[in-house]
Amino acid sequence: MDKEKFNELCHDLAPRSDHTLTEAILKEVSSFQAGEQNKRLPVIWIETSDSGDNNIAFLNSTYPYAGQVFTDMIDLLYCNSFMTAQGKHALNILEQAAVMLKGQFTLVVEGAIPLKDNGLYNIIIRTENRNITALEAVNWLGNLAKYVVAMGTCASFGGVSSAKPNITGSVAVRQVLNREIINVSGCPVNPDWFVGTLAHLLMYGRPELDELGRPTLFYGYTVHRHCQRRSYFDKGDFAENLGDIECMFSQGCMGPRTGADCPYRQWINYVNWPVRANTPCIGCTNEDFPDGSTPFFTPISEKGSNKDKETNKWRKRE
Amino acid sequence: MAKKRVMFSPVTRLEGLLSVEVTLDGDRVVNANASSTTFRGFEWIMRDRHVTDAVYMTQRICGICSTAHGAVASYLLDELYDNTLSENAQLMRNIMYASDIIQNHIRHFYLFGLPDYVRMPQRPPFHGQNLSDARLNPKDDQRLLENYFEAIKVSQKSHEILALFGGKAPHQHSFVHGGVSVAPTADKINRALALAKTVREFVKGKLVPDTELIARAYSDYYQIGVTEGQFLSFGLFRFGPKNERLLLKNGVQKGNRLIPLDIGLINEDITNSWFSTAFEQGSKGKELIPNPYKPGAYTWSKSVTYGGQHYEVGPLARMIINGKHRGGASTMDRIYARTLETVHFTQLMEDWLKRLKPGPAPIEQKKTPVKNKVVATTDAMRGALLHSAWIEDEQVVRYNIITPSVWNFSPKDEYGRLGPTEGALVGTVVPRQEMLFNVLGRIIRSFDPCLQCATHVLDMRGNVKKERLI
Repeated sequence: MDKEKFNELCHDLAPRSDHTLTEAILKEVSSFQAGEQNKRLPVIWIETSDSGDNNIAFLNSTYPYAGQVFTDMIDLLYCNSFMTAQGKHALNILEQAAVMLKGQFTLVVEGAIPLKDNGLYNIIIRTENRNITALEAVNWLGNLAKYVVAMGTCASFGGVSSAKPNITGSVAVRQVLNREIINVSGCPVNPDWFVGTLAHLLMYGRPELDELGRPTLFYGYTVHRHCQRRSYFDKGDFAENLGDIECMFSQGCMGPRTGADCPYRQWINYVNWPVRANTPCIGCTNEDFPDGSTPFFTPISEKGSNKDKETNKWRKRE
Repeated sequence: MAKKRVMFSPVTRLEGLLSVEVTLDGDRVVNANASSTTFRGFEWIMRDRHVTDAVYMTQRICGICSTAHGAVASYLLDELYDNTLSENAQLMRNIMYASDIIQNHIRHFYLFGLPDYVRMPQRPPFHGQNLSDARLNPKDDQRLLENYFEAIKVSQKSHEILALFGGKAPHQHSFVHGGVSVAPTADKINRALALAKTVREFVKGKLVPDTELIARAYSDYYQIGVTEGQFLSFGLFRFGPKNERLLLKNGVQKGNRLIPLDIGLINEDITNSWFSTAFEQGSKGKELIPNPYKPGAYTWSKSVTYGGQHYEVGPLARMIINGKHRGGASTMDRIYARTLETVHFTQLMEDWLKRLKPGPAPIEQKKTPVKNKVVATTDAMRGALLHSAWIEDEQVVRYNIITPSVWNFSPKDEYGRLGPTEGALVGTVVPRQEMLFNVLGRIIRSFDPCLQCATHVLDMRGNVKKERLI
């Protein structure tokens, strides 16, 4: 309703001594409040095969705190960790939300999806008659969602859940769904990367993604590029042990081939990050984490997956 | 009246995925099957890796108790490499460990437990509550709801202490074998003290009165969800150059008797678990293999016993074994003991911070293993946690993990005996049908379930008898 029409309405109805005016205005006010002003992102969040570290990492968000995210940013319709409803009531909510908000909701998948044995290594809900596996749920909800966000490295790339020998046949969300997935990797995800991605979806739509489907905003540069210890590296001044203040390359640091903004963003209210704690970055946002990073304390060129590869390849990627 | 089976799934507000099927005879629960429904196979993942990867790898078992896995893996490696720990290293380790436990306990009480007792607003993520016997007055409901939001901020502060010394959280980086890689400096100690004070003020000013309020309003839960009252703890907070001193003692409590712990008496059973045994080609003996189609089985958790009996583990076990709580083994005892422990640990954490001496990073890692088989234990947030490793040339041959939730969420063993949670559910009377999920949910959540952990227990022979532990 425009201002002119609103004034007209007030003028016409003001002389009445009953509540007609209040009723008429209240309707407008409610619809205004429910509109653009209070737009929240509808989210269905399913936990699959992971360690739960990503939902704990999310709780470490500061400004907005997780409580503010619940209140001001998203309508968290289904989430095994945080929803109050339980049992069949929770399942009913999930089924209704999937139908009513088809094409509108954002699906967050937290974890990898086991494929072996029809996905029976991860059952997200059971009823008296059947099992709903992560595989089934991701297929079902992933095709109804407006956006699909893979939260953490297990969901993005398989991660620890698919580490060798991967006896559960676990894979990333992108290997289950034939559509665009926004991968917000990390083990765990930095809450800023996750909340920041949701904020982008809410305020500006789809963020720009790199070749691995990750928002370039967070993963666009290597850890190495922004590392506070880069000057030590350039001078060839390497740490001899964990706990030293020099470059951690010698201690197995994966910074040179890990896209993430940890050095300047840091963690948990921005107080620290692994290299600042005198330990190596273990490349937890990478497509080949953890197998490409282990042994964790061995220099890149001697790590498992790199033994056969051309050494110093990381220099070109930086 | 005919018996009726009801599936309670998903059991929300916990870590991991849990379904519980109960059989009702009239208003009474006569059977309960607790199903842990994720399997990741961590013991396989650990094989053929460098053993020093264990601290970072095993933290990825669980996001809410990652420091516990990092701690026990560090103890294991300390023994394997014969490291000597300084006083500062132990203080910093225990500060980090306590901060993670406090984080867990605050989040458990408010984010997971509170909606079982307090009316939440009808908006996401609180919609569909169906709290059929809400007993607090609207003013108290409102106050506790506000504390829910404050708890989110305060638990973050506790994790900030962990990150300050540990690099990040979850999955800290500095608490590794040989000590701690971060230097305790005046600025960090001071900042951590300020954070710890904020946490303590919340714990004393909010968590304690809120627990007491709920315990009064729902005092019948001192008689509901009762286990057999047999408790086990591996002890908590190690000190001494060889991790030899435990601040909270270990032991086994049966009635009024505290019996010394002998880990050789631990046994695991797969009767009702989705595992079979087989001789695998090229393997080192008989192996367990996952078998999701096994008839009659209903969970990925194994059944773990001590001396042939099931034991409850967790904060209540610790507080009883250490003489800090006298009471029963009920739903409300578990909730109360967890809060009691939180108060105790916030005080300890501040004391330790004050005892830290500024200096270099207290770490010295030896490079050559002096053993090839080792077992390490601690109590985690939820109770007894064991890691064991068998290595050859620093490579893992076998790595075994027994987590707390496996004790509490043990399925029935070969003799049909019930584990603590199933036992606490059986016999429960549900006065009105619409209260079923409320009553079951309260009992189950009082154990602070973490099924991510429960999914990883596996050793190659299905038992941990001493001579075959690893």
